Amino acid sequence: MIKENEVFSKSLTVTNGLGIHARVATKIVQRMQEFRCEVTLIKDDVEVSARSVLGLLLLAASPGTEIVAKATGPGSMEAIDVIDRLIKNEESEQNR
Amino acid sequence: MKNRNKIDRTKAPDTTQPAEIEGNKILKGIGVSAGVAIGQAAVIERLTTEIYPQCILETADIDTEIQRFEAAVKDAANQLKEIKKTIGPGHPLDNHLYIFDTHILLLEDRMFFQGTKELIASGRQNAEWALSEIIGRITSAFDTIEDEYLRERARDIHFVGERVLRILMGHSEERRSHELPLNSIIIAHDLSPADTAQFQGERVIGFAIDMGGRTSHTAIMARSLKIPAVTGLEHISRSVQTGDTIIVDGTTGVVIVDPDGDTLYRYRDRQQVFLKYQESLMGYGALPAVTADGECSVRIYANVELMDEIEIALGHGAEGIGLFRTEYLFLGRKDLPDEEEQYGVYRQVLEANRPHPVTIRTLDAGADKVSPALNVGKETNPAMGLRAIRLCLKRRDLFRTQLRAILRASVHGNCRILFPMISCLTELIETKAFLEEVKQELSKEGEPFSPNVKLGVLVEVPSAVTIADMLAKEADFLSIGTNDLIQYAFAIDRLNEHVNYLYDTLHPAVIRLIRQVTAVAQATGITVAMCGEMAGDPLNVPILLGLGLDELSMNALSIPMVKKFIRSMTIDECRELTNEALQMQDRKEIHDFLESWIRERFPEDYFALHSQQTNDR
Repeated sequence: MIKENEVFSKSLTVTNGLGIHARVATKIVQRMQEFRCEVTLIKDDVEVSARSVLGLLLLAASPGTEIVAKATGPGSMEAIDVIDRLIKNEESEQNR
Repeated sequence: MKNRNKIDRTKAPDTTQPAEIEGNKILKGIGVSAGVAIGQAAVIERLTTEIYPQCILETADIDTEIQRFEAAVKDAANQLKEIKKTIGPGHPLDNHLYIFDTHILLLEDRMFFQGTKELIASGRQNAEWALSEIIGRITSAFDTIEDEYLRERARDIHFVGERVLRILMGHSEERRSHELPLNSIIIAHDLSPADTAQFQGERVIGFAIDMGGRTSHTAIMARSLKIPAVTGLEHISRSVQTGDTIIVDGTTGVVIVDPDGDTLYRYRDRQQVFLKYQESLMGYGALPAVTADGECSVRIYANVELMDEIEIALGHGAEGIGLFRTEYLFLGRKDLPDEEEQYGVYRQVLEANRPHPVTIRTLDAGADKVSPALNVGKETNPAMGLRAIRLCLKRRDLFRTQLRAILRASVHGNCRILFPMISCLTELIETKAFLEEVKQELSKEGEPFSPNVKLGVLVEVPSAVTIADMLAKEADFLSIGTNDLIQYAFAIDRLNEHVNYLYDTLHPAVIRLIRQVTAVAQATGITVAMCGEMAGDPLNVPILLGLGLDELSMNALSIPMVKKFIRSMTIDECRELTNEALQMQDRKEIHDFLESWIRERFPEDYFALHSQQTNDR
C-alpha cells in the first residue's frame, strides 16, 4: 500500500544534449499538469517545483547534471518517470 | 582574392570596414542568417523597463491594482495565443511554436505572477513598479548561470514582462507586419520570438537588431524563415530612421545605411547572385558525390560537435558523420560526464544518422582544450604535451568510461571509433588492447555491443604519416586531420599571427604528406578519409580527388558545393591537375593554378565562394 504522504525520491542525470532548457522545461510543466502530486527537483542545495518553468530554468541543469526528483501524492512514481524520460531522451532538435 | 591563403579562418571575422564601401554609413554586427536584403528601415520603438511610473498605493487601492495586473497578464497571454495561432502546421516557424507555450507558462509562473502580486500588496507599489522589480530580480538570478544558453533565457522573462508592462501602460499592440510597407527591414533594439513571428511575412525582408548573438531567438527564427539578419549591432535602433534605405548582408554581418548608387548597384548584383546560387546549390546536397565520368565515388560526411548540428548536416546532404567531436561533453564543467550521460549522447547521434556511419572521435582534450576535472597539470608546451590519446592512455578510468559508452551505444547505429593523435604503432596497439579489455568486460556483464565497430587512426602528426603503412595494418581506416598535421609539420601555431602566414593547405609539403598516406591506401586498400578544414574547401576538391581520398568530412554548409564540384569533374581531369600541382614548388603557384582553373570552370561558384569567404568562421 502506498501511503498518502509518502515521499518518493530518485536520482536522475540530465543527459539530453542541451540540459533542461526552454523546450524541456516547457514540456515538463505541461506534462505535470496531468498529475496531482507535488514534484520538486533538487540540484545541490536548490529545490524547485517541477510546475515552474522559471524554477526549472534557474536550476541551470546543463548536460551531465545530477539532480534528485522528489514527489509526494498520487502518481508520484509515474511523474518522476515522465521527468526522467524528458531529461534523457529529448528528440533531436534543430534549434534548441 | 589572390592571397586567399592568407585568410585566417581561425580568427573572428574582420571587423574593420571594408574599404570598397567607404563613404556609406556602415555598421558591423554578427551575420546570423545569410543573404542580402535591400529595403526600407522600419524602426520598432519599444519602451524599456527603465521608464515606468512609480507610486505608493493607498491601502484601499491595493486590490484594484492587483486586479489590474491580473487583467494585464490575461491580456498578454491572449495576445501570445493569438500570435501562436497565426503559425499553423507547415509554417516555417512551426518548429518554434513551443516558445509561445514557454512564454505563456512564464506568465503564469509563481515567481512572476504571485511574486508581483505579493510585491504590490506588501510594498504598496503600483503594478508597473512591482513588475519591473520582479523582472529585475528574476533576470539577475539568471546572471549567475554558467551555461551560456540557459543564461540567455533571462531574455525570455524580459520579453514576457515587457509585454505585460506595455499593456499596463496602455501602449497599443505593436504594428503588425501587414501594416508595414513592402520591403521592410525590421530595426529594433531587441525582438522577442513573438515580435519576430509577427514581423514576418512577405513585407519583411530583413532584420537588423542591436542585441543578440547566434543563439538568440531572432537569429534562429530568421534562419528558419530564410530572411537575412544581422544581430549585435549595438546602436542601430537609435541611429536609423524609419524609411531610411538599408542594406542587410546577413552573410558578412554588414549593414549599410543610406548607401550610394554604386553600393546599391553592387549589392543588388550580389543579392541576385546569392539567390540564384543558393537555389541551384542546395539541389546538389541530395545527390551522390560521383565524378562526371562515373569513375570515382567519394563519401561526403559532416564534422559535428553539437546535437543540433546533425539535422543541418543531413539536410545539406551529409552521408554520415566523419568526425563527431566529444570534447564538449567534457569541457566547461567541473565534473566528468559519466557512462550513462555519454551513452545517451552517442546513442542519440547514432540513431539520428542510422544507417549512415558516425565516426566518434575519442576525447581529444589537452593543449587548448582543458577542463579542471581532467586535472592536467600545467605544461610548458601543451601542444606537444599530454593530450588526446596520450591523456586517455594515462587516464584509463576516463578512457574506459568513454569506450564503454561508445560500445554500448554502437548497437544503435553504424558506429566507428577514431583515435586522435596516434604517433607510433605501440600507441595504437596499446589502445586496441585496452579496447579489447573493455569489450571483454562488457561481454562478462552481458552488455551488448556491435561486433562491427570500425577503428580509425586520426593521422595528424607527421610521424603517423611516415608510418601510415604500419598503422594501416592495425586499423580499418585512416583519417587525415589537416589542421593539426599542418601545424605540426611546419612547427607553427596557426593562432600566432607572426607565423600563421606559413599555414597553408596547398603548400607542396602538405600535398606530399597527403599523397604519402593515399599511396598507402592504394597499396593496401585501406580507406583514407580527410576531416580537416582542407576537406571542406571547394577549391581543393580536384586535388583531393586526384590524390585518391575515399571520404571527405567537412562543415555541413560546404557539402552542396563540394558535391557539385565533384559531380562536374572527371577523375582524369583531377589526376592531371594534381600531377601538375605536384610539379610546382611554390604554394602561390599552386593556388593561382587551381584558382584560375576553378574560375574558368565554375565562374558562378567562384564568385559565390569569394563573397562567402569573408563570413568563414
